[in-house]
Amino acid sequence: MLFAMLLGSCAKGDGKTHIYLQRFFGECGAEYGGSTDVAKAEGECGIITTMINRFNAENPDVQIDVNVVAWPGYPQLTAQVAARDPPDLVTMHEGVISDYAAKGLVEPVEGYLRAAGISPDGFTEAARQGVSMYGQIYALPWDTHGGLFHVNTALFAKAGLMRGGKPVLPNTTEELVAQARQFEQRTGKPYLIQSNVGDPAFAARNLYTYMMANGAVLFPDAHHIKLNTPIGIQVATFFRRINAEKLGSQNMDTPGAIAAFVSGEGGIYPTGTWMIGSFEQEATTPGRPLYKNYAVYPYPRLWGEHVEFVSGHSWVVPTRKRTPQQRDAIARFFKFMAAHNYDWVRTGHLPAFKAVLDDPRFKALPHRADIAPLASIGRPLPSNVQRQNAIEGIVGEEAAAAFTGQKSIPQALAQAEHRVNDLLGQVD
Amino acid sequence: MTSQRDWRGLLFVAPFLLLYSIILIFPLLRGLWLSLNQVDLFGAGHFVGLGNYARLLDDPIFGTSLVNTFVVTLMIVPALTVIALALALALNRASRSAAIFRGIFFSSAVLSVTIVTLIWRFMLAPDAGFLGFLAKAFGGEPLPFLSDEHLVLPALAITTIWWSVGFPMLLFLAGLQQIPEDMYEAAALDNAGRWTTFWRITLPSLRRTVVLVVMLQTAAQLQLFGQSQLLTAGGPSGASRTAVLFLFETAFGRWELGYASAAAEVLFLLILAVTLTQYWATGQSKEASNGR
Amino acid sequence: MAADLRRGRLTPLGWAGLLIGAAIMLAPLVWTLLLSLKNNGELVGHSEAALHGPYTLQNYAAIFGNSLTLRWLLNSTIVALGQTAGVLILASLAGYGFARLDFPFRRTLYIFVLVGLAVPSQAVILVQHQLFAWLHLHNSYPGLILPGLIAPFGVFFMTTYMRGIPLELDEAAMLDGASRWTIFWKIIVPLTIPAQSTLAVFTFLGAWNDYWWPLISATRSDMYTLTVGLAAAQMNYAQTSGLGYLMAQAVFASIPIFIVYIIFQKQIVRAMAGTAVR
Repeated sequence: MLFAMLLGSCAKGDGKTHIYLQRFFGECGAEYGGSTDVAKAEGECGIITTMINRFNAENPDVQIDVNVVAWPGYPQLTAQVAARDPPDLVTMHEGVISDYAAKGLVEPVEGYLRAAGISPDGFTEAARQGVSMYGQIYALPWDTHGGLFHVNTALFAKAGLMRGGKPVLPNTTEELVAQARQFEQRTGKPYLIQSNVGDPAFAARNLYTYMMANGAVLFPDAHHIKLNTPIGIQVATFFRRINAEKLGSQNMDTPGAIAAFVSGEGGIYPTGTWMIGSFEQEATTPGRPLYKNYAVYPYPRLWGEHVEFVSGHSWVVPTRKRTPQQRDAIARFFKFMAAHNYDWVRTGHLPAFKAVLDDPRFKALPHRADIAPLASIGRPLPSNVQRQNAIEGIVGEEAAAAFTGQKSIPQALAQAEHRVNDLLGQVD
Repeated sequence: MTSQRDWRGLLFVAPFLLLYSIILIFPLLRGLWLSLNQVDLFGAGHFVGLGNYARLLDDPIFGTSLVNTFVVTLMIVPALTVIALALALALNRASRSAAIFRGIFFSSAVLSVTIVTLIWRFMLAPDAGFLGFLAKAFGGEPLPFLSDEHLVLPALAITTIWWSVGFPMLLFLAGLQQIPEDMYEAAALDNAGRWTTFWRITLPSLRRTVVLVVMLQTAAQLQLFGQSQLLTAGGPSGASRTAVLFLFETAFGRWELGYASAAAEVLFLLILAVTLTQYWATGQSKEASNGR
Repeated sequence: MAADLRRGRLTPLGWAGLLIGAAIMLAPLVWTLLLSLKNNGELVGHSEAALHGPYTLQNYAAIFGNSLTLRWLLNSTIVALGQTAGVLILASLAGYGFARLDFPFRRTLYIFVLVGLAVPSQAVILVQHQLFAWLHLHNSYPGLILPGLIAPFGVFFMTTYMRGIPLELDEAAMLDGASRWTIFWKIIVPLTIPAQSTLAVFTFLGAWNDYWWPLISATRSDMYTLTVGLAAAQMNYAQTSGLGYLMAQAVFASIPIFIVYIIFQKQIVRAMAGTAVR
């Protein structure tokens, strides 16, 4: 027992400044070990592992000790903060920052940004909105991720929906329904592949995006949500229609939906940036249904403005006592991450820095030119709204019930509102 | 009875009771205190008396979760007990094949809930699932076990029974060991048939074990959590949300420690009521006073 | 001989039932094994690929390639063994006390223990976490072992079994002048070996597969147990990739438990074959 305690708290006698970093994205030490070759790494795990290795190599007076946690890592982080022993750097979804920031459990990072020579003007709009709250910046934004229409172009061709080598995407709800029917008639398969089961994020994303497009203000203040409005009903009715007329697949959960799309069982799978890597792999493997038959675009504009609900990953600095050397090390880490944002976006996520959007290397990556608009049309939820994860769970659950007809639309939206307002009412 | 009321008896139970009081009872009591406050995980809260409980009464999500919990327990416990007993009876012998079969029926119990739910998703999902495949092979339509609000609780029950049959089986086996041989000898001498032997000798002697299994399983399944969280995420729309999942979401997801504590107290009292009722109804208390 | 009944042959219906039951038990497990032997990429969207080759051991290599896996295995072993030993000792002592000895408040205290059966662990876990933080027990073996020792099941179980042992044995020994402790140690304990073995298997399993407590108590990766460590190593939140790796984890983590089960099975069988309680 003594040994174990010593292990946890021993003073590192190597003269280096130690920074404790906690992240998800998996563990791939077997494949990447101590490699510092970021350019050759693939996937979220590979790229982040090599990046941190490289930082350690380039900064011999600093040692980043990495703790990998299971996604999303919040139960552990909560426990660590409660025990007054949090890490120095943590990966955090932008929607969650406010929960910790509102209580002073994470530090504002302007000081680190300044020391690193990073200006918030260089962030993309979506990124900047995601990390700014209560008049300060509470994280280094790292990427933006959101929903995308992943398209099976071979089936689209069969349905007569290709033009000039690009899929024809609808511009209004009526067009979508017409195209969906046409697609169904000509290919015998559903137009949309949906993960209606066990995936509240799917339904929430759809509802949020198209309500925002219609100009709805989802959160008039930090303690209330408004969903049961004419706009909300309009959007929900549209998705209900898709399910009622079987324009989309039914009863699928996420693994099922992925399997269906990958096997060419439908035209479009509206999942997100995180699947680009896997689908691209399918698209470059001969013999696969998606081989050379894959394209991807942001959600189409069906009403009003072209905007989309997005979120993003970021790096936060939990509050605790630190030495000046540690603060300096954190600033250097920020600088390194900002400089290597291009490497991270090879995962399929969108960059948090405008400069990377304009980088020719970025534009040359497969499909990026098509999805780049997401960085400008992406809108996170207002950053001062807390418990966004829990809210998404509630909204997604009720929205899915509305879309599949399990509940009536006004009932589902009203209950979603009621539950969320109840939750936010408990928050300071 | 040769025992006297002797303080020294306490020495045997003291080590356990000491740890138990510190690590379980104290948090339980503190939880009771927390349930009377509106407090989140990090803040200082303020006292609200029975406010959280009033809120719970009004909360349809909590109500549904309680109903779901009881329904799924009723689906699981009788079936599980019968199956485990049948297996124990069939495999209560020293032969090699019996040992192998015992190992097979125990094997599901070694898996963690993460793996079990993953496996059963592949069994139950209509498209990719094995059961769906079977249904199609027989010309039927696959049942949407995980997305139909009426099928979701049976799905949880089936998964749980598959997972949990090993231990009750072992308990029954251990219980069968303690039936004295003379009873069977006497029955054999009287040329009693198998069924008679079972009903008149085996089952009554197993009574204590049956009660043990039923009580433990009821208490355990009323606390069902992992399968609900991982297999269906409590869905669709809360149709398979159990009480502990509600608790977990409230505490870890919404940080509402006070409210979650109140829900925990309510659940605790319900389970306690059920457990104690079973204990008294089956005459255990009588045996306790006889010291048998 | 009772053995006649016990070795009575099963009816054909009985055999059929057993075989079907065994198939239902095994099919998902075989499926798990097959999935664990496939490359992750091949399985994305096509889990049926597990039914045919090529098979590979790369997922298992990845488990061992992680430099911490063996450390996690060690942690899990220490914690599980520690909890098992602790529970056997505490529950046997307490069980004997409740089953055999008459001391003040015995009935009340027994109910007090039963009450614990009704407490869902999720209800107390956060307060327990605060308590252990105050005691500076996090990220330590005692911190991981202690909460498992208070499970009321052990006491309840041992009490029930000890009650089933005929009192005449105790009385005979007492006539010979044996103390309570001697009766406990020399007579009762050996007679409850089947129950102890069952309890050992149960406790070991519970400790081995425990997830939530080690997750929030052992927050430094060198103190993770195997369950937590392997979950952390998962590539993707929705388990949409890394399926083969996940299944390899399951197989790998199950092996020690099977070993424990097989060891204790022998105890249960040995008791079966001869030393029935008179």
